[in-house]
Amino acid sequence: MLRVRDDDAGAFEELVELYQQRLVALMHHLVGNAEEAEDLAQEVFLRVYRSRKQYRPRSKFSTWLFTIANNLALNALRSRQRKPMLSLPAQDSGPLGPRPAEQLVRDRGSGPMRRLERQELAERIRQALEGLNERQRMAVVLNKFEDMNYAEIAEVMGLTTKAVKSLLSRARENLRAALSSYIYMDGERVPEGSD
Amino acid sequence: MAKASPLSEQERADLVAYLDGELTGEAARALEAKLSLDPAARAEADALRRTWELLDFLPQPQPSLRFTHHTLQRLAPLQADEQRRRQRWCIRCLGLGWVAALLFSAWVGYVGYNWLVPREPGERELLQDLRIIENKRLYDHIEDLDFWRALDAPDLFGEETSNS
Repeated sequence: MLRVRDDDAGAFEELVELYQQRLVALMHHLVGNAEEAEDLAQEVFLRVYRSRKQYRPRSKFSTWLFTIANNLALNALRSRQRKPMLSLPAQDSGPLGPRPAEQLVRDRGSGPMRRLERQELAERIRQALEGLNERQRMAVVLNKFEDMNYAEIAEVMGLTTKAVKSLLSRARENLRAALSSYIYMDGERVPEGSD
Repeated sequence: MAKASPLSEQERADLVAYLDGELTGEAARALEAKLSLDPAARAEADALRRTWELLDFLPQPQPSLRFTHHTLQRLAPLQADEQRRRQRWCIRCLGLGWVAALLFSAWVGYVGYNWLVPREPGERELLQDLRIIENKRLYDHIEDLDFWRALDAPDLFGEETSNS
């Protein structure tokens, strides 16, 4: 990044190559749409370029990068809430009509991992993730996929570590509620005292 | 439908932090004690852990092959704009430099002129020195300042001097 700041030709391209995977994945988990995720990730890189002269290597570059990504993604998600987009999941259309989660749960006893396609499960998980509010989602994605600790998440999101702890706790509880049907599968015994 | 959690909000926050390896010291020990004694809390911990592991089923999205190319394409107008702004700044600096050089030259000219060409005394200065000018004829005979001061001695001209 210091080379980008000093207008080293080619350094920006290297930076894009180096961080594109993480940034696109982060955005995809947040917005749930590949095209929009790429667009947002590109916008993050452009913002990095625009503010390169203000960059001071006080903390890890990735923290600075994800702070920009956080601001941009939260703005995008908020403006999307103001202008809601209609999304029609492919599996919910067709001659048999919608296939509710209950239907998937019913299949569980006879080995759902065999019947329930991995893609379908991923779709349910993605829906559960989308059910979280944007800040919870961001905290979950940073913690789970970027392996950031609470202090790093707090820095990226401009919160206290205590707030991050509370945010992640509520997020995990919401996910647990949304995915409760998928937690014990393949005939696993539900532990005593569980739901 | 999920049952109500057997843990309070604070306890659940601690439990999640514990699962994330963020809870240490006394709080961690207290939670471990609760987990060892309370099967419901243990089940909750297990459910939370498994929920977290479910996220591994999400596919890892990959950027398109043209991602870098598209990003650099979007960067090009930005760089051109920066270049234009830099040029405008240079032109502005050059203009300011010329104005500064012009002002400096004018100042040097003014100071130099005043230094080289002594100006005529003004009316106020003439009035200020009127008495000297009027008596110049007398002062011309004085050779130095000591002599001039000595003229002021009362015993040199006596009464006449003190009365004048």
